[in-house]
Amino acid sequence: MKVLKKVMVLLLVVAMVFGAMACSKDSTTSDGDKTTSQQDKDSGKKSGDTKTGEKVKLTFSIWGGQDEQANTQAVADKFNASQDRIEVEVIAIPWENYLTKLNSMATANELPDTGMMMETAVIPYAKEGMFLDVSDMFAGQEVLDCLAFKYDGKVVAYSSANEILLLFYNRDMFDAAGIPYPPADAANAWTWDEFVHTAKLLTLDANGKNATEAGFDPDNIVQYGCSVENLTWQLEVWALSNGGGYFSEDGKELIIDNPATIEAIQKVADLYLVDKVAPLSTGTTDDGIPRTIITGKVAMATNGQWNIGTCLNTAKKEGLNYGVAVLPYMKEKVTICTGGPTVVFSQTKHPEEAKEWLRWYNSIENSWALIETGTWMPIFEEYYTNEELTRKWVENEAFPPYDEYKSAVIDYALGYTKQASWYYTDNIDNFYAVLGSVLGEVWTGGTTVEKAITGNMDVLRDAFEGK
Amino acid sequence: MSRLVNKTKRRRSRMSIREERTAYLYLIPAFLGLTFITYLPLLGVFTISFFEWKGISSPKFVGFYNYVKLFTRDHFFKDSIIVTIYFSLLAVAGSMIYSLFIAMLLNRKIPARGFFRAIFYVPYVLPATAVYIGWSWLYETNFGLFNYLLTKVGLKRVQFIANSKLVVPSLALISVWLAGNLIVIFLAGLQNVPQIYHEAAEIDGANSWQRFRHITVPCMTPIIFYNLLMSLITNMQIVVPALSLTDGGPGNSSMFMTYLMYRYAFKSNQMGYACAISFIFFIIIAIFTGILFATSKAWIFYEGGD
Repeated sequence: MKVLKKVMVLLLVVAMVFGAMACSKDSTTSDGDKTTSQQDKDSGKKSGDTKTGEKVKLTFSIWGGQDEQANTQAVADKFNASQDRIEVEVIAIPWENYLTKLNSMATANELPDTGMMMETAVIPYAKEGMFLDVSDMFAGQEVLDCLAFKYDGKVVAYSSANEILLLFYNRDMFDAAGIPYPPADAANAWTWDEFVHTAKLLTLDANGKNATEAGFDPDNIVQYGCSVENLTWQLEVWALSNGGGYFSEDGKELIIDNPATIEAIQKVADLYLVDKVAPLSTGTTDDGIPRTIITGKVAMATNGQWNIGTCLNTAKKEGLNYGVAVLPYMKEKVTICTGGPTVVFSQTKHPEEAKEWLRWYNSIENSWALIETGTWMPIFEEYYTNEELTRKWVENEAFPPYDEYKSAVIDYALGYTKQASWYYTDNIDNFYAVLGSVLGEVWTGGTTVEKAITGNMDVLRDAFEGK
Repeated sequence: MSRLVNKTKRRRSRMSIREERTAYLYLIPAFLGLTFITYLPLLGVFTISFFEWKGISSPKFVGFYNYVKLFTRDHFFKDSIIVTIYFSLLAVAGSMIYSLFIAMLLNRKIPARGFFRAIFYVPYVLPATAVYIGWSWLYETNFGLFNYLLTKVGLKRVQFIANSKLVVPSLALISVWLAGNLIVIFLAGLQNVPQIYHEAAEIDGANSWQRFRHITVPCMTPIIFYNLLMSLITNMQIVVPALSLTDGGPGNSSMFMTYLMYRYAFKSNQMGYACAISFIFFIIIAIFTGILFATSKAWIFYEGGD
């Protein structure tokens, strides 16, 4: 009798422990990937396969929390209401876990039908056959060529927005120094030397002397002439501008030890080290414009177009008088483009509906809220070539004057753009992490670009080849 | 007589067996929890470390390749061990001295003692990222407050976190500033040092340093040991400053091991490789904790004598 009682107690304890574990497992799944939407999707798939005439259910994964989910679901609901064949449900996954979550979903063959994707993850995923060919997704609408992610000759994703690198400047500082503004059209773009010279005139010490004058005190600078963003992916534009690059054009070979590339990166580092016209930046944080133009301590800074929407507009309302210009150049006039893509996962059972949804999702009307505030640029070519549409986009108080923006951004984007390297290279995330570390000592003058790159070529190559 | 002894012995042992069984029974839930939440994952990490597993592609068994790669051709690994240990030593030593000092001040009968106790505890409860971003503006090379003050008094600018030689000491200083929890524990310990020892020593003519050295410190050794252990483990697992400020740089100078592991696991999706790192990291922490425990017998003074 006693023994039986003990056994029962033991069983009870075991049952409780496993019960508790089962509960916790349940709750983690529903936290992470929204169990309910997963079930909906499964039942949708089944019914979609067996019964005709019922709605096809699609899932769309985004990164973010509850707010983002609610906002994006509101957009999807508009789509759901606009027709009666497809119903889209949004799944929100926290940014930090996005790829990890997708990886485990892929293993379980439970990937969403469609989703947002990190730029750097597109080619690695495409290599595993995770995306459908979407080259016909925008049939009849011309999307800018440079926004297509290509793998093995196929378009595996299109960016949802366009972004290019520009030169932003503080008009008041130019006016105070009596210097003409940087050129807004690529035809008159400054050479690197002209750029550095102007930056010197705009770099002032505590006594009001600029960097070209005798007695200039570089230890007491109160206003810097320029700041060239040195995040590794943005540095590539200078390598290209100097006739070098990081990779061969097909993305298969590493050419970062090319002397032109090394020279270009060294020139950027020398702005702080030698020319004394730039504040020190170690290329580790992505807050270039807030740190430079918006603090009112730097006259010119390079960065992405999106800064107009993400921070410069607010600063403008608080009195910042800024302008946009094209980048200076070393040998070739060039800027680079990028933009986060949306994809159709190859595990979907409804490829046509999935493409239809993404086509609708990426339509100009849906992106308009971000476009009219200056955060995104349209992906459709007609907005760059048709003046009426361009005016509809740019004639708006969020933007710099129309003529300036038209030539410094729109014409520049059409005529002088190369793709950021994640559009065509594998392992780029890891490569940039290693490159950032390799160049870390360069910015403070601890080593030269040549020593850093040639001395670490094997490490860089390992990272690039994914070894 | 001898029978009686035997009988009591047997009876006692039967009771103790029953008690032991009950004890084990009560231990089962905790044991299961530890097994499934700690030991099995550890085993899992160890197993995965023998695979090449890049997220979506299926895992491929590679034997000791990940470990060989770590020790032979990894660009970050060696630096990251050195940096982590260097940081931990600075941060642990700094925060122990700082918090014991502050705790002794706060143990005196000063006016508004409660207020000051709260003040020194506040950093510990602030959100970590906010703290580091705030400090980064103090440290900032071009326009930061510290450099502003330095230039005002005519000194050269110091690249606190942009310089590879200064970044670890600068970050360790933040860690010291954050050590409010150690202060609270030290305070509790100080209040338990018997006042009669101090009084007796005072009558014998001991000065305040002698009293600190020969009464306070020995009585505090168990508390010091506890704080040392906690501080060591926390600081060896440091990750927030690398995540929020330095990105492991400049160069590899703040590439803390936990951050390196995070980067391989969740940025470049090399799960097997990241598992190998975390396993090595686990061993390193275990070694340091082991050293601390092994030496503790020699210097910890327990009043109860045991």
